[in-house]
Amino acid sequence: MPTYLARRIGQSVLTVFLTLTTVFLLVRLAPGDPASAYAAPNATSADLARIREQFGLDDPLIVQYGLFLRDLFTGDLGTSYSFHSPALDVVLDRIPYTVTLAVSAIAVTTLVAVPLGVWMARRADTRRELGANVLTIAGQSMPDFWTGVMLLTVFAVVLPVLPASGFTSWSGLVLPTATVAVLQLALVSRLVRREMTTALASSYITVARSRGVRESALTWRYALANSAVPLVTALGTRFAALLNGVVVVEVVFGWPGVGSLVVRALETRDYPLIQATVLVTATLAILVQLLVDLAYPLLDPRVRLGKAA
Amino acid sequence: MAEVTTTAANTPTAESTPLLDATDLQIELITAHGVVRAVDGVSFTVRRGETVTLIGESGSGKSTTAMGVLRLLPEGLAVMSGSVRIAGRDVVADPGAARAVRGRTVSLIPQDPMTALSPVHTIGRQLGDALRLRHPGMSRTQARDKGVELLAQVRIPQPRTRWKAYPHQFSGGMLQRILIATALAAEPELLVADEPTSALDATVQASVLDLLMELQERTGIGMLMITHDLGVARLVSDRIHVMKDGRFVESGSAEDIVERPAEPYTRELLAAVPRLGAWDEDGDERTEPVAQGAAP
Repeated sequence: MPTYLARRIGQSVLTVFLTLTTVFLLVRLAPGDPASAYAAPNATSADLARIREQFGLDDPLIVQYGLFLRDLFTGDLGTSYSFHSPALDVVLDRIPYTVTLAVSAIAVTTLVAVPLGVWMARRADTRRELGANVLTIAGQSMPDFWTGVMLLTVFAVVLPVLPASGFTSWSGLVLPTATVAVLQLALVSRLVRREMTTALASSYITVARSRGVRESALTWRYALANSAVPLVTALGTRFAALLNGVVVVEVVFGWPGVGSLVVRALETRDYPLIQATVLVTATLAILVQLLVDLAYPLLDPRVRLGKAA
Repeated sequence: MAEVTTTAANTPTAESTPLLDATDLQIELITAHGVVRAVDGVSFTVRRGETVTLIGESGSGKSTTAMGVLRLLPEGLAVMSGSVRIAGRDVVADPGAARAVRGRTVSLIPQDPMTALSPVHTIGRQLGDALRLRHPGMSRTQARDKGVELLAQVRIPQPRTRWKAYPHQFSGGMLQRILIATALAAEPELLVADEPTSALDATVQASVLDLLMELQERTGIGMLMITHDLGVARLVSDRIHVMKDGRFVESGSAEDIVERPAEPYTRELLAAVPRLGAWDEDGDERTEPVAQGAAP
C-alpha cells in the first residue's frame, strides 16, 4: 500500500509536469501576442518590443522554458500580465468559488440521480419510467447556456426570488448549481439505472430474495453496494471535470470561478495566468482521481490496489 | 435414508398436509421469441423428511418449476397457473404467501454458488442477515455466534475467523456449504435444491450431497431436488419425476425409475450415467404412487 501510494503520487507529479509543459508550449505556439493584448491600442512597435522584453518573451523558447522551470520549483508562477499580481494568487482566489459550485452540483446530482436511477431500474420498462427516461434525455440534450438562461429568466426575472448574478449570499449558489446539476443528473441517473438493472437481475439478488430479504434491502443494500464502483467512478470523473471550471455557467451567472478566469486569461494571452490555472486545476483533478482509486478496495473487496492498476 | 418423522410434526394437520403440494402447475415464460410454456401441468408433493427429485435435460423445465414454486421467476415475465401450496398456503394465487414462506418455511440452495452471494458483503454479514430476518430480536453478536455454529455444522474450517471473509476468498464447494448454512438459518421445513452440485467438482459434489442427506436425517426436512444427474437422483431421492418438455414423462420411487425405467427417455438418461454397481437397497419402502405423468 505505501509503495502503491508512492508510485501513484510520483505518477501524478509527472502527469502535472507534462501537462504544464504541453500547455507552456501550446500557448506560445498558438497565434496571438500578449504584448499587443496588454498594450494600449495606440502603442507603437517600440512599446510592444519593450513589453515583450519586460515579460521575457523575446528570449528563445528554450530559455523561457528553463526560466519557467527554475521559478516553478521555487513556487513562483510569474506575475499575471492583466492582474499585475502573482498568477498563482489570482487562481487561488478563484478556487473556493469553483470548489463550492462543484461540491454543491455533485451533491445535488448524487442526492437526486441515485434515487431517480434506482427508481427507474425498479420500474424498468413501465410507462412512467419511460417518461422519466425521456425527461433525463431531454435534460442531457439541453445546452447549459440555454438551461442557465431559462432558469435565470424564470427565477430571477419573472419570479425574482433568487439573485441573477454573482455570489453575495448562499442563495446565489442555487441557480448555477441547478444549471450544472440538470446536465449531470441526466448522465448519472441513466448510469445508475443501467448498473442497478444489471445488479437487480443478478443471481445473488434472487438468492437473497429466497431468504426472505425485503425488496427495499435488496435494492438499497445489496444492489446499490454492488453498483458502487461504477457510480463512484462516474461521480469522481464529473467532479474532477467541474473543478476545471464550468465556463458557460460561470459566464451566464457572473460566477467568479476558475472557468471565467481561464477565458479571460486566454483572451489576453496571459501566459503566467494560463499556466497557473492549469497547474492548480490539473492537480485538483488528479487528486480527486487518486482518492477515487483509493476508495475502490473499500467499495469492492476483490480490488487490490497495485495489482492491476 | 429418509423417514417420515412423526415426532417433528406436532399437529395432526402438519402430519397430513404435505409441505409442498403442486397441482397442475403451468408456467409460461414471456421471451423475445414469444410465449413459451416451460412447465405444462405438473403435479407433485413433498412431505416431511422425504426427497423428491425432478430430473431432466437442460430446457426440460425442472429449474423453472423449482423457481416457480418459490415464486422467484421475474415478475411480469412468468405467468403461473394451477396451485402450489407450501405449508397449506397457495403461492400461485397469493404473492404475499410466497414472501411469507420464503426464509421461514422454505429455503433455496442455488445452482451456482460462485454467483449466489453478494461479492461486496462478507459471508458473515449475509449469513447474519438471514439469521436476523428469521429472529428479528437477535443481536448482531448473537447472530454471529449462531452463524459460526452453522458454519461449523456445514464443516467450514475455522468458522470464527472466516466470518469476516468475502465470497471470492472461498472455493465453490465451500461457498455451497456456506449457502447451505444460510438456507438453514431460516430453520426451514422444506429445502429447494436447484442443481446444488452441478457447478462443483465430482469429489466436492459427493461431500455436499453427504452433508444434505445428513442434515435431512437429523432435522427431518423435506427436499425438492432438481438435477440432471441420475447418479445424484438415485443417491438422494425417495421419489423421482422424470421431466421432458415441461411434463413428467415418468414418475415413481427412485428404485423403480432406476431399475425398471418404463420410458425410452428415462433409459436414455440412465445410459448417460456411468454404472456404479447395483442399486443399494436401503429398506425404504415408502413409495407413494404419483398418479400423473404419462407421456403425451
